Amino acid sequence: MIRRKGLDICLLGFLILFAGCGPISKTTLRPGSPDDLPGCYAIFPAEPWESVHRLEATIGGGSFSLLGVTKGEPSERRLQSLLLSPEGFILFDAELSGDGIAVRKAVDPFDSPAFARGLMEDVSLLFLPPQAKPTAWGKETDGTMICAWEGPDESHVEISGSMESGWKILRRNKQGKVIKKAVLRGPFVNGLASRVELQAFKPASYRLRMTLVQPY
Amino acid sequence: MKRFIFLSVLITGGLFFAEIAPAQDLTSLKEAFRNIRSVKAEFSQKRSIQILTKPLFSEGKLFFYTPDSLRWEYLSPLRTVMLQKGNTIQIYNFSDGVWKPEMAQAVESRRMVLAEISHWFQGRFDESKAFNHLYSPGPPERVILVSGEGINRFINRIEIVLSVRPGVIDRVEIEEPGGSRTSIEFKNVEINSSFSSEVFEKP
Repeated sequence: MIRRKGLDICLLGFLILFAGCGPISKTTLRPGSPDDLPGCYAIFPAEPWESVHRLEATIGGGSFSLLGVTKGEPSERRLQSLLLSPEGFILFDAELSGDGIAVRKAVDPFDSPAFARGLMEDVSLLFLPPQAKPTAWGKETDGTMICAWEGPDESHVEISGSMESGWKILRRNKQGKVIKKAVLRGPFVNGLASRVELQAFKPASYRLRMTLVQPY
Repeated sequence: MKRFIFLSVLITGGLFFAEIAPAQDLTSLKEAFRNIRSVKAEFSQKRSIQILTKPLFSEGKLFFYTPDSLRWEYLSPLRTVMLQKGNTIQIYNFSDGVWKPEMAQAVESRRMVLAEISHWFQGRFDESKAFNHLYSPGPPERVILVSGEGINRFINRIEIVLSVRPGVIDRVEIEEPGGSRTSIEFKNVEINSSFSSEVFEKP
């Protein structure tokens, strides 16, 4: 029954994907000034951090609310992420490090490997910069930064924005289509955005709204 | 893991063995709850999670009407409400200025939580399907619920600290595997006050 529901959600996700995944044009950039390069990392916390977010997820017409607890150690590229029910029960607990993803606890319906992979990918997209140096970057006259990275699997990550206007993160697949889009809005507290809206288009379609409850 | 839980249960048993009272005291405790028809209260929840240096605080309120009507509402940081009236359970989340119903799967998973809470407010600690109970006369008077197979993935034990007011719960302490803890303190508790039955039906 649950698997069937999962298939239905996936099917619906694909339908939404084809209907709602509009093209977002790819910006052509050249390597920019070395002075501007640190701006590409402005949205990613540099020091160890912890946070609590209110999460509102919309999947296939249904929605649910949870608390998300995240701890990051940027220098080690380590992230630990927990999902809590409103009553405070831990439903999911996993850590991402150089060794991959270690799931400590996962309760139905958060117990599939695909969910763990997808969640940690989202957390990583929002809080860890890609490992390589950007392939291109630039700063516009109004202060807006635009940075692009190419991944080893021919995927692309682009970020654009400023601390004043907020930021946008796009992840594209090797065909250049946007598969995830995140919008980060201030005020930024200890380097963390107060509000984040993440939309995933592929392979599953869902929307995640995150509101910062407690930064540390 | 199993060894850890077994050890925890042993430690729990060891700590409380000396002051565990005979079963007739639990009977008198149930007698204290017998006159309770309704409970209205506010609560503060403190959640300590190992990875967080500071605890997470939540605020909420509850309404209970015997035997199986319960409204358990969080006002912050998530605004969400669980409603039970008989076998009907509804969960709503407040988002974008409106109450939105929770997905059906999440509703079913809360059924047991609501049933346990309903038992507490009636003093029916010995009717839990998920926990074995122990009684400590204190003071303060306490009931310790030790988790059985299955539920011990989430909870090791629950300690219910009773008020000197008959049938009133002061505090609930929940211990989880891995060292995380939750403390729920009840305040402004009103016993047998009147309120509309709509509180169990509408968010």
